[in-house]
Amino acid sequence: MSVALTAHPRDLSIPAPPRAWRNILTIAGRELRDAVRSRWFILYTLAFAVLGLAVSFVSAAGTGGTGLSGFGRTTAGLINLVLLVVPLMALTAGASSIASERERGMLAYLFAQPVSRTEVLAGKYAGLAGALAACLMLGLGVCAAILAWKGVAARPASVLWLAALSLLLALGMLSLGMLLSVLSRRASVALGAAVFVWLALVLVSDLALMAGVVALRLRIEELFALSLMNPLQVFKMWSLHAVDATLDVLGPAGLYAADEHGPRLHLIFGVCLFAWVVIPLAAAAVLLARRSPV
Amino acid sequence: MIRIEHVTRRFGRYAAVNEACLELTPGDSVALWGANGAGKTTLIRCLLGLLRFKGNISINGLDVLRRGKQARMLVGYVPQELAFHDEMKVAEAVVFFARLKGIGHPDPAIALGNVGLSGHESKRVRELSGGMKQRLALAIALLGDPRILILDEVTASLDAVGRSEFVRLLERLSGEGRTMLFASHRPEEVGALARRVAEMSLGRITSIAPTRDFLARASTGCVLHLLMRDDARPIAIRELRAVGFDPRLNGEGILVGVHPDRKAAPFRILADASIAVDDFEILPAPTQATPGAPPATGDAGQPAAEVLP
Amino acid sequence: MKAVQALVLSLLQASLMAVTSASGAVPPDHARKTDDHAPPAASRAIQNTPGSGLISRLIREASEGDTIVVPSGLHREHLRIDKTIILDGGGRAIIDGGGSGDIVEITAPGVTLRGFTIRNTGIDLDAENAAVRAVAPRVVIEDNMFSDILFGIDLRESPDSVVRRNIIGGKSLDTARRGDGLRLWRCDRTVIEDNIIHDGRDAILWYSTGVVIRRNTGRDCRYGLHLMFSDDVVIDDNEFSGNSVGIYLMYSTGIEIRRNRLVRNRGPSGYGIGLKESDRFVISDNVIAANRAGLYIDGSPFTTRAPGVIRRNSIAFNDVGVMFLPSARGNELTENNFIDNIDQVRVAGRGSLEANRFWSGERGNFWTDYTGYDADHNGVGDFVHEPSTLFENLMDREPSMRLFLFSPAQQAIEFVGRAFPSICPEPKFSDEVPLMRPVAIETSAATRQASPGPLAAAAALLLAVGGGITAAARAGPSTCRRDQSAIGSSLGAIP
Repeated sequence: MSVALTAHPRDLSIPAPPRAWRNILTIAGRELRDAVRSRWFILYTLAFAVLGLAVSFVSAAGTGGTGLSGFGRTTAGLINLVLLVVPLMALTAGASSIASERERGMLAYLFAQPVSRTEVLAGKYAGLAGALAACLMLGLGVCAAILAWKGVAARPASVLWLAALSLLLALGMLSLGMLLSVLSRRASVALGAAVFVWLALVLVSDLALMAGVVALRLRIEELFALSLMNPLQVFKMWSLHAVDATLDVLGPAGLYAADEHGPRLHLIFGVCLFAWVVIPLAAAAVLLARRSPV
Repeated sequence: MIRIEHVTRRFGRYAAVNEACLELTPGDSVALWGANGAGKTTLIRCLLGLLRFKGNISINGLDVLRRGKQARMLVGYVPQELAFHDEMKVAEAVVFFARLKGIGHPDPAIALGNVGLSGHESKRVRELSGGMKQRLALAIALLGDPRILILDEVTASLDAVGRSEFVRLLERLSGEGRTMLFASHRPEEVGALARRVAEMSLGRITSIAPTRDFLARASTGCVLHLLMRDDARPIAIRELRAVGFDPRLNGEGILVGVHPDRKAAPFRILADASIAVDDFEILPAPTQATPGAPPATGDAGQPAAEVLP
Repeated sequence: MKAVQALVLSLLQASLMAVTSASGAVPPDHARKTDDHAPPAASRAIQNTPGSGLISRLIREASEGDTIVVPSGLHREHLRIDKTIILDGGGRAIIDGGGSGDIVEITAPGVTLRGFTIRNTGIDLDAENAAVRAVAPRVVIEDNMFSDILFGIDLRESPDSVVRRNIIGGKSLDTARRGDGLRLWRCDRTVIEDNIIHDGRDAILWYSTGVVIRRNTGRDCRYGLHLMFSDDVVIDDNEFSGNSVGIYLMYSTGIEIRRNRLVRNRGPSGYGIGLKESDRFVISDNVIAANRAGLYIDGSPFTTRAPGVIRRNSIAFNDVGVMFLPSARGNELTENNFIDNIDQVRVAGRGSLEANRFWSGERGNFWTDYTGYDADHNGVGDFVHEPSTLFENLMDREPSMRLFLFSPAQQAIEFVGRAFPSICPEPKFSDEVPLMRPVAIETSAATRQASPGPLAAAAALLLAVGGGITAAARAGPSTCRRDQSAIGSSLGAIP
């Protein structure tokens, strides 16, 4: 009997393995399919959409009877929502990706195939990023639909900006989550670390900075520089900057940023957020190449 | 085809594989034999480039660490237990791995048919029995018709029926000129599939012998597989050696070749040494007449027995 | 030489015909018809020396009470109108100042200037180069279009004048180098209506009493409307948007501000309406939205003769709804809708609001941050509205804290404040009868409802992307689908 799957006669010399991008696509496709079918995806999408709906309805209701509508409060509500939900979503998705597969031996099996580890990481990242993108776009799309239906005067550009920036934030947090995942030997540890990091970014760092403002009398340029270290703050400031084109809502530090950096702000915020995408992912790739997959 | 040179892999201070050397020519079939913890799985992982190590391993001249992706194109690997996304459908899994191996338009039906899994394409992986999972793993390993098969105790988690079916399947496949390296501690598998046996102990390859010689040493008629507490095993081996048996560590127990008429002798000796035997199994002694197993001396280039110090 | 002579002659003839026909009882249509016959080359021949152009000559030759219809086309000249005449550009005459000095000066009372495009003044701020300067009473300036001008209409001691349906657009200069689109100095009883003023410095009234300002639009200026020492002014139905400040009253008394729209006035001070030491004011039925501060109240009302009435306004989406300086006392805010301002009410510094009232009788205000309920369905909340949030208090004390607005940390702090009321600051004010529903405000200024189309398109785009990814992922890649169909057929073959 013979195995009929031969793509090449066996007398020929070694077949070339698929190119990197092909493998990345294959793995990303599988990861995306897996994610989209998974419970967490459905849960997160539903939760995000429902919370977004609530925000949209509340802000639309506030305009009742005045013939007025505004996107300000909605923006604030949506930004707040994104700040809470998206990092948690992306961090946990990233954290459970590598560690749980390592724990169950899937990673070793995958690495035993003709793929490189960087391809596996990139593929998984791309797949999860796609799933997160779908989740975010659906959630924000539902919000935008409600706002349009309720006649809230939101500029479509604002909504698209918000969606794009949320996605960028999600990519950064996914990258960080994958780094945690590569670092952790067990999935539970990785998840715990992800939640811890989430808490630190969402609450602890802001509260610490607030304490710094009060106790250390931080100057506003120092405060602004420090807040650039937190990707969530960067997302928030960038969203406000992009949606409202003014940062003065944020008081002296915002005014300082607008006056001092003006048109460069997009660049500054962009570099800060991209750093959170690129650096953890690169670190994860290096570590994954070194560490044993079993 | 496979060249393993002075490979050492340490976990902390403990050398799981120590200065291992082994060479497989094309078409060769070598069994790695040894107790659990002897280093068989670690050596296989090194070979697949999953672990870093000192020394050199090359597959068809390709260094497995530096050109691992290329090298693994030549290898089909079946693990002890298939670990893959349980929610995936069988056919999807086949297609996924086929793509990783560069097969553009795979047909899962054929691949699955080869291993007797026809009709299970749309089942989910988790719905398969242990034996079917191993067949699926084998189907995946055979995708792209690799020249080398690496099997890591592929029958360890199967029951007796599943085991014999799976071995029969492998036997069928081994006749096709593939190079095979597999870890096993079942003499019947070794007898059926291997030309040579490399015995491992404490990370070292202690001997490499033709299967016939190995089995001759291993059994004189039939083989007793005695299961006992781990710490009792060295004493048991010492006691049995002292009275002329040739026991060897194997998995969780020891294997002792016995004369078919005196199968109880080892029990008496162990009882005298106050060693409790928890369970036992009587394995048929494989003969050289086993179909599919080529004569061990068939390879002119190979020394009949090569006992390493 | 001969050609020039002929030209001048024909010019004279044409203009004479225009004057006679216009000053006679000939209907204006006919006059215009005559204008059309003026050779287009005529205007080009006019020199840019004051008094020497065609229109100047027409004025010189006109008598008091005449109506001069100026031929259409470009007139490069500077005018002085020193007779009580009606000068009508018919909507097609352009007066170009050539980038120097003033363009039209009105020195006679009762002059009407109508239907011109007047453009290109000098840019000398010290000389206050203006498109139109009047120094006589009862002038009417209407239906003109001003562009590329430093000062637009500058009325000096021109009481009882009318400025109507003009469009006044300033030069594209830094705000500091712009002039005022409209300036009134001692012009009592003047009516300013239906004008559009944009890209200027201010529209400003000095010492002018009894002025009526209605249905004007001011946008992208510094002060949409600025009153200095001007009393008894009515400001109705105007729209001021995108200015640094919408309306600013200083030292003015007896002002009514009704049914105006004040939107997105977000300059350095950025008030919708600012009141400084003004008195006897009624601010009602205005829509005040998306400004930096909706209302800014500094030392007003100035005396205790009458309360400052702020009633039935929609104050929405401003950074601060109403900003009080500690000096502000005696205001009464009722039936206003406070909608989603980031700070609904704020006291600059750490003063108190005790001397101002947020309710009267049975009517308080509508607050979107009211947390109570209305069990007896009388439209009034059952609990007093006493807003006090820890974070707002922190921001008041430490302005840099605003950086943390909209962050979960802010909510955490407010949560702590609610959980431990003892550490919560005293409420700044209280509304004993908060309204449960917003008050319907009648603004005559058109409420522009954004078309939901583009937003719906954005929503559709997002949903399509998200749904597309999901659907594609669920279906699996195309090859895989093909393979699965192949499996399907092979499965079919298996009994």
